[in-house]
Amino acid sequence: MADPYKPRAPFAPWDRRTLPGIFDVEESARRVGNYKWAEMKLFEVLGGWVATVPELDVKMRLGTHCYKHAWHAELWHKRLPELREMNPDRLTVPANDAMVRFVEAMTEPEAPELTIEKLVGVYRVFIPRFIAAYTYHLNGTSEITDAPTIRSLKFILHDEFEDWRDGEMILQSLIETPEEAARAASHMQKLEAIMIEAGGIAGIGTLGAQ
Amino acid sequence: MRKFFPVEELARDERFNKITMRDRMGDPRTALNVSTDASGKRTNNFRLTPGRRDASDGARGLMHGIFVGEIQALEGAGRTCWDFETDTEAPFALKLDMARQCWDEARHVEISVKLSDWMGSEIGQYAENTVLFEAACSTDPVLRLAGVNRALEGLAIDVFTTMKEFGDLAGDPYLEFCEDWMLADEVTHVKMGSDWLRKITENDPDRRKKALEFQSVVDKLFSYGGTRSDSQESPIGLARRFRELAGFTDDEVADIAEVSMQALNERKSAVAKMREAADQFASSAAAE
Amino acid sequence: MPVTVTPQTFNYVFYDAELIRSIAAGLLGALGMSDHEVFIDVDETTPLARINCTVDDAIHIHADSGAFEDTRKPRQQSETATATSLGRVLLRARDRLVGGFGEAPADDDLTLAQVAAWETYCIGRLQRFGVPVNQQRWRYNFRNRHGFSDASDAAFEQIWQSEGLTWGELNAISDTSVASSAH
Repeated sequence: MADPYKPRAPFAPWDRRTLPGIFDVEESARRVGNYKWAEMKLFEVLGGWVATVPELDVKMRLGTHCYKHAWHAELWHKRLPELREMNPDRLTVPANDAMVRFVEAMTEPEAPELTIEKLVGVYRVFIPRFIAAYTYHLNGTSEITDAPTIRSLKFILHDEFEDWRDGEMILQSLIETPEEAARAASHMQKLEAIMIEAGGIAGIGTLGAQ
Repeated sequence: MRKFFPVEELARDERFNKITMRDRMGDPRTALNVSTDASGKRTNNFRLTPGRRDASDGARGLMHGIFVGEIQALEGAGRTCWDFETDTEAPFALKLDMARQCWDEARHVEISVKLSDWMGSEIGQYAENTVLFEAACSTDPVLRLAGVNRALEGLAIDVFTTMKEFGDLAGDPYLEFCEDWMLADEVTHVKMGSDWLRKITENDPDRRKKALEFQSVVDKLFSYGGTRSDSQESPIGLARRFRELAGFTDDEVADIAEVSMQALNERKSAVAKMREAADQFASSAAAE
Repeated sequence: MPVTVTPQTFNYVFYDAELIRSIAAGLLGALGMSDHEVFIDVDETTPLARINCTVDDAIHIHADSGAFEDTRKPRQQSETATATSLGRVLLRARDRLVGGFGEAPADDDLTLAQVAAWETYCIGRLQRFGVPVNQQRWRYNFRNRHGFSDASDAAFEQIWQSEGLTWGELNAISDTSVASSAH
């Protein structure tokens, strides 16, 4: 065995983590507050839609995904006080007014014939935006000072990819005609237009300065 | 999407046929007092056990009832996530619990589908009574918790216990395994309801009283006219031990036992009246 | 020979006596039993699904209303359920009439395992006559009475596929299955 008293480098040769990050504590907390707000809106609508979709497999998927996004909201809720925000509700806000309008438009479909629209909003617009925002945060934040956020981001991103794949595959199985493809595209275009205005889950600059 | 979704609009595919409690109670037929044991003799013991001649069909029917009940429980928990504004109407942590319940109920639907396949039932093979979701329609989240988490999920504890025992006695490892797992979840859900009811109404005795009264009404409704009670005439028994684990006090269990017996006796009396009316109608039709 | 259904008019359920009669007549023809007089007595006061029959000069069938019910639509009649229920008791009656089942106990004296075995034998043949059947339902019923084991499943398959069994043969398969599951 090696001599336990021999000095060793504090960072092993294979540990390539670096200190610098592009977010300070305040910016990180602001983003996390936006994430929490958006995840809350998502789990609430997924739960609400369960009763409105006639397709049994979709019903079960929405119920399952509902919990995952609630858990993400809970992770962010717990992270906020660690980022010097002792009143998590203060930062649990939408990134901007456009984001509020986006959520209103995404949660509008209710009729049982509108499963495609419901799923398009979540799985082709909202969740891809989560994946983008979280990936940007993961890649940009300090690997050492913000390690707790990184840990949560990795758990959450795993869920987001899984759920996106589930949702996209269900959509592909539901869209059977060119007319239905047009419906999906039209709804996606409508929602994307609002999301572009919002700039992403954390607002303008979600993916860097613009 | 609107807040507070009406029970009549619960979305189902074409395999399902929804009926209401009114439809069910309007059926003048009853199995009470006419069931048979293994020897074929008339008996008042109608508890669902493998010894019943129609045990397999009875278990399949009950399993389908569990299946649609799980769908409605999933829908009810999901609606609680949506219907109430966070913090102003329902605490954030309560909504997180309801989201967790959604996942659990979705798994229960999955388990029920697999079990139904195993038992040879088809999706939608039996009519779906939507009474369970009706208890999830209250505009007060505390009443909803009392109705769904304590009454509905309490009934689920009774049903799963009966089915678990059925699987055990029949030597059906698949059924016993599944019911055991679902039972664990239901105990958690009831406890969740008990804890939230206590917490939210801590300083509001009137609201707590109202919620407990509502629960009592729902408990009676869920006794399905005697389907669940301590009496051997009821196919489903009252699972006292698991209810205790879920946070019910002895007094509360005694109350549920009492309302269940009332429901059984009221059902018998209602059936007797309906039969009298049907017989009178038949006699007058014959006379004409 | 005639088929008589009682009651002719139903008060508790929305059943059609003529439909029951015609399904029974069709089955009697398909099973080569048209020379038998049949009386079908429906107890419409119970939703249970029991059905049994006795055979003397005629075939007497006693059915609870649930035996003919569309479980999706309570109190409504299902043609498939009517055919399945009538078919299985008629086949049992035919087994008793054509021989080989002389030593079979009366319906009321059959054990649960014997009932399940005989029903499996009847339903397997009924399926080959073209009546829609969910085989898993009957496999589950058989397993409940003979054990959840490979031996029980093999016995089920053997009975399901069989034609021309005697009571002794059917009972032996059932007994062997129960005994091997018990070990």
